[in-house]
Amino acid sequence: MGFTGLALGAMLHRDGVARAATAGWTPPDGKPHFAPKAKRVIWLFMIGGTSHMESFDPKPELNKYAGKKFVDTPHAGVLSNPLVKQNLREVIKGLHKTHQFIYPMQTGFSKRGKSGIEVSDWFPHVGECIDDISVVRSMWTTDNNHGAQIQFHTGRHSLEGHFPTIGSWVHYGLGSLNDNLPQFVVLGDIIDTCCGGVGAHGGSYLGPEHNGVQLAVDTKNPLPFAIPSTGPEDQKREFELLRELNGIAGAEYPDDPAMRARIKSYELAFRMQASVPEVMKFSTENDATRKLYGLDHDTTRPFGEICLAARRLAESGVRFVQVFHGQNGGAGKWDGHSNLKKTHTELCAQTDQPVAGLLKDLKQRGMLDDTLVVWCTEFGRTPGCQGTNGRDHHPYGFSVWMAGGGIKGGVTHGATDELGFHAVENRHYVTDVHATVLRQLGLDPRRLEVPGRKRLDIDFGAPIKEIVA
Amino acid sequence: MARLAFFLAFCFLASGQVALTLVEKRCSGCHSGASPRGGLDVTTREGLLRGGSRGPAIRESKPDESLLYKAAAHLAEPHMPLGAPKMKDSELEALASWIKDGARFEREVKASAAAPHWAFQSPKRPAPPAANAAWARNPIDAFLGAELAKQKLAPVGEASKSTLVRRLYLDMVGVPPTPAELAAFVNDSSPNAYESAVGRLLDDPRHGERWGRHWMDIWRYSDWYGWRKANDVRFSHMFVWRWRDWIVESLNEDKGYDRMIVEMLAADEIAPEDPKTLRATGFLARQYHKYNRDGWLQDAVDHTAMGFLGVTVKCARCHDHKYDPFTQDEYYKFRAFFEPYEIRIDRVPGQTDTGKDGVSRVFDAEIDRATHSYIRGDTANPDRSRTLPPETPGSLGGALGKIEPSTLPVGAYYPDYRPFVREDLVTKAKADIERAETELRKLTESNAPTDKLVIAAKALAAVRAHLPSLQARIAADKAKYSDPPDPKYEELAAEARKKEREAGLLKADESVYRAMLDFNEARSKAKAGSVADEKDVSKAATRLTEAQTALTQSAESYSPLGKIYPDRTSGRRTALANWIASKGNPLTARVAVNHMWARHFGRPLVASVFDFGRNGKPPTHPELLDWLAVELMDSGWSMKHLHRLMVTSAAYRMKSSSGDANHPGAAADPENRYLWRMNSRRMEAEIVRDSILAVSGKLDRQMGGPEIDETKGFDVYRRSLYFRHSPDTQMEFLRTFDMASPSECYERNESVVPQQALALANSKLSRDLSKVLAARLSSEHKEPAAFARAAFETILGRSPSAKEMELAAKAQPENLVHVLFNHNDFITIR
Repeated sequence: MGFTGLALGAMLHRDGVARAATAGWTPPDGKPHFAPKAKRVIWLFMIGGTSHMESFDPKPELNKYAGKKFVDTPHAGVLSNPLVKQNLREVIKGLHKTHQFIYPMQTGFSKRGKSGIEVSDWFPHVGECIDDISVVRSMWTTDNNHGAQIQFHTGRHSLEGHFPTIGSWVHYGLGSLNDNLPQFVVLGDIIDTCCGGVGAHGGSYLGPEHNGVQLAVDTKNPLPFAIPSTGPEDQKREFELLRELNGIAGAEYPDDPAMRARIKSYELAFRMQASVPEVMKFSTENDATRKLYGLDHDTTRPFGEICLAARRLAESGVRFVQVFHGQNGGAGKWDGHSNLKKTHTELCAQTDQPVAGLLKDLKQRGMLDDTLVVWCTEFGRTPGCQGTNGRDHHPYGFSVWMAGGGIKGGVTHGATDELGFHAVENRHYVTDVHATVLRQLGLDPRRLEVPGRKRLDIDFGAPIKEIVA
Repeated sequence: MARLAFFLAFCFLASGQVALTLVEKRCSGCHSGASPRGGLDVTTREGLLRGGSRGPAIRESKPDESLLYKAAAHLAEPHMPLGAPKMKDSELEALASWIKDGARFEREVKASAAAPHWAFQSPKRPAPPAANAAWARNPIDAFLGAELAKQKLAPVGEASKSTLVRRLYLDMVGVPPTPAELAAFVNDSSPNAYESAVGRLLDDPRHGERWGRHWMDIWRYSDWYGWRKANDVRFSHMFVWRWRDWIVESLNEDKGYDRMIVEMLAADEIAPEDPKTLRATGFLARQYHKYNRDGWLQDAVDHTAMGFLGVTVKCARCHDHKYDPFTQDEYYKFRAFFEPYEIRIDRVPGQTDTGKDGVSRVFDAEIDRATHSYIRGDTANPDRSRTLPPETPGSLGGALGKIEPSTLPVGAYYPDYRPFVREDLVTKAKADIERAETELRKLTESNAPTDKLVIAAKALAAVRAHLPSLQARIAADKAKYSDPPDPKYEELAAEARKKEREAGLLKADESVYRAMLDFNEARSKAKAGSVADEKDVSKAATRLTEAQTALTQSAESYSPLGKIYPDRTSGRRTALANWIASKGNPLTARVAVNHMWARHFGRPLVASVFDFGRNGKPPTHPELLDWLAVELMDSGWSMKHLHRLMVTSAAYRMKSSSGDANHPGAAADPENRYLWRMNSRRMEAEIVRDSILAVSGKLDRQMGGPEIDETKGFDVYRRSLYFRHSPDTQMEFLRTFDMASPSECYERNESVVPQQALALANSKLSRDLSKVLAARLSSEHKEPAAFARAAFETILGRSPSAKEMELAAKAQPENLVHVLFNHNDFITIR
């Protein structure tokens, strides 16, 4: 209570309106802790678990021992590796068994770019950008079910409940780049209630003003309550009258900072309801750009529009854009338990060109230098075959990548073992990705502590220094 | 030689001084005075030699055998100082050499250099100071007035009657007064006009809804959540809305706060056969985690401690608490109170399907279930060498009553034996026969295929046999549970067995036939190689085998009408609840009055509302807090009594603004810490929505019932507390205005963000209802000025000033109403 937790944050600090909530402690002032390399983040999350062995981590041994039992190969050790126990915290014990027969790679890999990094043939366009990308092939998490989705964003196993997400920490830590737009935006259909729901872009104890704001790529209704309920002229008149009436009443309450903040919030709201639909209008984009994102094809258009919207939001000063792909009213489309080849081919085709388009577009606009793009998913998939043609959930080793915002290009970092089972070299838990993002933004997560909220070392993670330019 | 002697003497002196300072600063806080902890007084040499309940604290010249040293060096339990970091090695060395050298007290050691923590001592009723008599209306003002005088601050004047009555309505019932109510109050010049308004509002059933929502925040109300589409309840529980209704009703009938606590924690033990009271245990049902029993019990422990006791015991899950005197063992002993409990759904009258309705309630599933501590809090690593008994933390004092297991009445452990369930089951069995008859008739008339006719005939035979079977089982049950036992029981049981077997055979016969058809259909449909089809076939085959097995098996006895639970309950939670809700508990009443104060005055007396421990904030007005706490307890824990005291105080009636930026208070106490003026507050999310509905005359006053779909907030005009609210599902409009986090909310946020402006300006709610209200007011007030006046009075609860009137009268009616919904004074409680 009292007048706390202003999301107008830095702006109201500027105006001397905000004040500390707790004696001896002040919320962040919106300034980075040290010189930042990146100003903003675009976070692409594939819901369901993209196979690392069919995307960014080729494993020829899988083909060599295809159809054989692990125990009958020189790699039998992966099953008895102590990491199997250490890495796993099951929600339902024994739900996901080890699959015994090795399943070969379902696609080829080609050396791409000057760096010659091998990329799946299902990602031909992203392959073109590989010299701008750092691939991290040694991720691990602890949930072997889809609670790993919220875990990837909070850093905590879903059994421990909801915690602030990476986007909300960034929102909490940094001031606004553009007062007319929400600063933490969510695009695409969000994670289902099975796996975190709104919690996967929530502010949790940081307060609801740090929740991600869901926007739709829809010029008519992009933001909740953003369409004036009267004609624009009517609304202008109403807001003018409101400003005057609030001003008259406010004279009686000179010691009420909320009053001034409230008046200011209407000015902002008025601009925001104009700015957000403006960002979603692609009419100013030329044909070349539209093609770059695949807007000219039915397969690529839906996600292409989302990626283009992400760029336009980033360009207009949104700090953190969290993009989801693959919502299906449950665990997610990338969840390839069966028919992996068919489903992954389709999903890669939907996202490959739009994601590559985003990287190329950012680059050609000179924005890639200070825009950090993260491509990630909750876990990888099993080297063993599930059923006849699928792969199960795999938390022991998987891949993500980052580009731009001071991240090296054409680099791979870390490795899984020869079957892609365990992350064995330079292992990284999900919060290492968070730490890397915060570091590039100039934030020290340990200085974002909130009184009464004890954070653990694992919450902070450690930046992946090797991929930072 | 002389230099060495001097050096040694210096060392001795130095270590003696260090040791005495340590004893004074780190030990005497608890171990001194009239009733030293453990009976040990450390302030004299004799006291140390005499020792306490654990024996002597020192043995002459033998630090290694001295409990004082061993406890400090963490060589013996309990590690001292309790809940604080271990002393430094140099300090321990000093302590050891001081004991070795005779533990001489070279100087006096003062008692209580570190005073016992205020919040862990029982509150005593302080006498209200005599100050500011002209201003003070009741003891609250006396305490506040004395502090104001000390700070050389003067309270501002009383708020206008219209401001005051709007504040009172919003605070007490959560909607603004109607213009008629406003006028009646403003024109009532009787001396106790205000007091009688307070009385009326306390009796208003909307009071329970308003304050119910506050307590729902603190008690972390959440509707069930999980995977909604699959109806998979993973957290909280179905039908916890009944607990919400119990909260509202309990507040309205002014049930004692002590009684509320006991019912929430232990209704199943103190009122085992009363479904109305059992609803209270929704508090514990809400802690449910489907897949994580440890997380479930952690939440039960942590939120019982934070919500009722205002202490954060959760740190002690992994290690002794760093700030407060709670050991890790004490954490698990606290957990032991909850260890036996689980949740079940009991039937309610008129609905036999507990998937559709029921009461989610607690019961002890296993009264002796063991509690072990987890080493470093790691749930994979329990310390099975010790079983920890249920005990309350020693430092909080109070006497925990004897924990007595008891035997439950039959209706409590065998809920389906209750008469209404038996009747409902019979009614349903009869309805099933009618339905089966109709079905068969329809099929016959429509010349349906033979297979379908056969199934319908078999189904009818099965349900026809079920009714006598059910009746026979009921008759046998009645004989079994009658007191004294009915001698005819054996005979009736045999009859029930026979009837049940007959019904079972017919049911199995039907199932076999159905399964056979399903199997044949699945087989004929199955495409070669289709995994899904193969699954269907194998499922059908399993069902067929099961049905055939059932046909050949004979039952040992007749089956009960429903699940029979353990007939013993541990008494643990009753003991805990009585300890929490006792006058001897130093925290319970203080924590409750602090929450009430915060919600009336806009700022708590203890800023850390869920942490009254050493790391929390001290009260701004300690005597006032204690006086209120004792007053609550002495009034029979009547919350309405406390509400009345708070809102009839002169302090509550003050203006919320000095009206003058240069007021001395603004410079001396800009935070209004000492309450020289009232605080203005923004309405909570629910009150924003409810007030828009109320002033438009559209608020649906229906109370209680199942949670409403959260996406219907703009179309269903019920009060906001009745809509679904969980971590996964929240009403967008309410979220925008900082509605409570259903995971934990001891205090609401009050943010100001542009999205709130958008929600008020553009939502369907404010637009639809401004049309409604504008139309109504226009029909009553033709003149623009009269309309404007009515709009101000209806929406803002006050008349417009001349300047405001000038602007307002020029606006279109609907625009004006809409603008006033967006006015800062509308969503502000002045």
